[in-house]
Amino acid sequence: MNARQETIGRPQIPNLKLRKRFKQQTLSGHSSRQSWCLNIGAWCFLGVWSLGLGASAFAANGISFTSPGFPPSQMDADSRLVEDWGAVGVKLSGEGVADAAPTVSTVKFDGVVPAAQAVSQRGAVTLKLTAFRAPAYPAGVDVFTVRVEEKQGRAANVTVALELPAKVYAGLRTVRLGGRAVLTLPPREESGEKLRDWGYCDEASSLRGWAKPAGPCDPAFRNIRAGMGGVPIIYRFSVRPKSEANVVLGFCESHWAEAGQRRLICKVEGAPSQEADPIAKWGRHKPGALLFKARDEDGDGRLDITVRGASDARDKNPILNAIWIFPAGPPPNPGQIIAGKLNAAAKRYVDVGGENDQSLYPGGKLEYRIALPARGAQELTFFAACHGGSAPMPDVSAWTSETLRRAAREVWRDWKER
Amino acid sequence: MNPSHHHHDCHCCISRRDCLKFLSMSALGAGMVGPALSAVAKEKSRYANPDYVDVGKLLPHPEVRMMAAIFEKPRPYWLGWPGTTYDLDARQKEYKAKLADSSRRLCIKTDLAPNPINDEAGVGAFIEKIKATKPHGVLVILQSIFCWPWLARVTKETGVPLIVFAPVGVAFTGHVLRLSREPGVYVASTLEWSAAEDGMRMLRAKRMFEETRVLWIRRNERNETVMERLGAKVRAIPRDTFNLSFDKQEVSTEVRDIASDMRRHAKRIIEPNHKDCLNSARAYVTAKRLMANEQANALSMDCLGMVSAKLMPTPPCMSWAMLMDQGITAGCEADLFGAFSLMMTSYLLNRPGFMNDPVPETAKNLLIVAHCTSGTKIRGFDKTAAPYILRNHSESALGVSVQVLWPVGNPVTLVRFSNANEMIIDTGKVVSNVQTPPAGGCRTSVEVAMDNIEDCRDVKGFHQVVTLGNHRRVLEAFCQLYDIKVVRSPEHRPEPEAKKA
Repeated sequence: MNARQETIGRPQIPNLKLRKRFKQQTLSGHSSRQSWCLNIGAWCFLGVWSLGLGASAFAANGISFTSPGFPPSQMDADSRLVEDWGAVGVKLSGEGVADAAPTVSTVKFDGVVPAAQAVSQRGAVTLKLTAFRAPAYPAGVDVFTVRVEEKQGRAANVTVALELPAKVYAGLRTVRLGGRAVLTLPPREESGEKLRDWGYCDEASSLRGWAKPAGPCDPAFRNIRAGMGGVPIIYRFSVRPKSEANVVLGFCESHWAEAGQRRLICKVEGAPSQEADPIAKWGRHKPGALLFKARDEDGDGRLDITVRGASDARDKNPILNAIWIFPAGPPPNPGQIIAGKLNAAAKRYVDVGGENDQSLYPGGKLEYRIALPARGAQELTFFAACHGGSAPMPDVSAWTSETLRRAAREVWRDWKER
Repeated sequence: MNPSHHHHDCHCCISRRDCLKFLSMSALGAGMVGPALSAVAKEKSRYANPDYVDVGKLLPHPEVRMMAAIFEKPRPYWLGWPGTTYDLDARQKEYKAKLADSSRRLCIKTDLAPNPINDEAGVGAFIEKIKATKPHGVLVILQSIFCWPWLARVTKETGVPLIVFAPVGVAFTGHVLRLSREPGVYVASTLEWSAAEDGMRMLRAKRMFEETRVLWIRRNERNETVMERLGAKVRAIPRDTFNLSFDKQEVSTEVRDIASDMRRHAKRIIEPNHKDCLNSARAYVTAKRLMANEQANALSMDCLGMVSAKLMPTPPCMSWAMLMDQGITAGCEADLFGAFSLMMTSYLLNRPGFMNDPVPETAKNLLIVAHCTSGTKIRGFDKTAAPYILRNHSESALGVSVQVLWPVGNPVTLVRFSNANEMIIDTGKVVSNVQTPPAGGCRTSVEVAMDNIEDCRDVKGFHQVVTLGNHRRVLEAFCQLYDIKVVRSPEHRPEPEAKKA
């Protein structure tokens, strides 16, 4: 994306909820600045201080940073965060945004935590990226913060785009490379990001060839997405607002042999929930299908499909093999669907976890649209997996930006090389 | 405490110096030293050794700040619980005194609102003060059945752990139920002030976790991380650090005294000779020194690997028992979450735990819990020690380990952090102490009849930590206060597991 690119379309309405969730700070005039300074004064002070005192180590080849005893990560000369799984770059575009090269330097947070910082004055907006290693057990986590600040006293709509390696896929709150969570994201639902027409938006895993369907059937029954750790499988499809459709979910259980182990709670928007125990209903390795009379009930032009594991089931990990969306009308024949003979008649046919599956979020780039008030600022914080580790899972992990920073401070404070 | 910052509405603060002084005399200080360990309590000057390490100083002494308030409705009361006859002044005087006493004994700096809070504006101001001062916890003494919505506000708007003391007369089931199962909340609906004090102990225990550095002695790496949620620091150091330090540890006066006490207080000595006991005491002093050098408060070591490589003449079993009797977590086999489980009993329940290998006794349907080290102060750091027999380490026939005789018929709790976000809690009762021989395995070996578990084979976990007494409710409350998931072993045998594909 061109760094000078203007925001297309009508200006974004400041999204207060989003700003609150991202723990952003807003500047608007002198008195607000004082308030802001009270709120994040320490952060700001350290940033300014480090620019003044710690900027002696300007980087031609990037800046390494780590925590005691672990291999380092790097912020390269182009201000990209470089990890063992790839690099994360940040592109800024929007009103009043100009091109400018970043100044990358070493800084110390709280006087002890080594960090990298990249600052660029992008016309009306200052872009500041910082990264430090938080020594989260067992392998550490890199905390990568993107801060944009309006400097010329005019409200501006800007877009922060994250550039990611091609092979990653982005879920609701994490970016994954294979089974490894490599980046924890701020909430995305309200980021204003342009989404695909359909796709999964969950933290489940794709497992190709997991199922062993017996007999002839659609090849989609061989692949699944699985909500390991009990997370739900969630798909969204763009549809005409308030429209109706026949939705068919396909299942093939190849792990359990006896009923009662894994029970699935299936919810398709506009239709009553259905509970299915695939073994009890169809048997082991036997493909089966559930039909739903779906409707875009809330009229948002999106059809939501969710499969969860029953909370009292022994195996709480949901699975899903295939999705078909047929036009409204008489229900399609389940036998023919299972045999793969109605794929062409479907408006959407998804080999869940297989070849034609996709994330709702476009791969390779994540975008956050930010409405900056005059002299306002906003921060986005990402947690990146560093060498040998994983990014923390938002629904499970207790880590926050604050606790990660404290962890780094406390460890470096007492650390002595021996 | 800086006098200029002392709030005059705080009735409970004591100075840091007083607090440390108190701690040194309390259950988590030298006062816990048992008969087997009396040498440790002797003054540094006794040994004229600049390297002498006082175990009491190895314990974390965190600052714990708590805000407190009494919630009531405008007076006079008329109908509605606690009722017109309830003597608000008398009850509040009583609870304020108890709060001050608990704060003093637990070394918690409590900032009690000077007057009862009786309206929305007062609650709002209280909430703003909590947000501004960020205490480690908040305690509210409830004095009206109509104040419950205010508690919901406090927890929702501050996110600070909330302890509610609701003396009988200010709640029905519905009031308690709604709030008491919320994460971040502990409700004591009772006339027993000790239940409120349990909540204060939870705050202190969590702060102790946060101020703890565990030495993780294994492999050949040196690094430091922080454990999620618990906040404890984990410093990995190479395993050789221990045996090389041990080699340098002379048989000092302190070592001789410890070895002598170890033998003198034993109920019996079976295998170990005097030299074994000296070596065990050397391991103990080595461990203390290493923790002091690394600013650590606990350790967990790859002891079996060390024994296997014959790097030391004794495993550290008896040394670990001595440390655990003084509140220092000393974990086996570099099992980090086993060590955190030991820490849990020490910091919250004021007694050592016993990390074990679980063995199902299928003929009697009992669980045998066995390892070669166990604290002796299992009734509490300030209570009489359980009898122990000095044995060698059964797997290697080396050095000194300990067979602690657990009191038959007493309840026990099994606790185990599966990870920082999940804890297994089960309970049972001591049936007997298993002798080796005829049994093999580890020296301290105890048969436990499990509560509410149909089949002993279904007990969850490995290296669970057994501690004397039924502490299920306190442990569950701690988990809820800090949003840790609680798991218990299944009551009924599960359906037969299907074969995997």
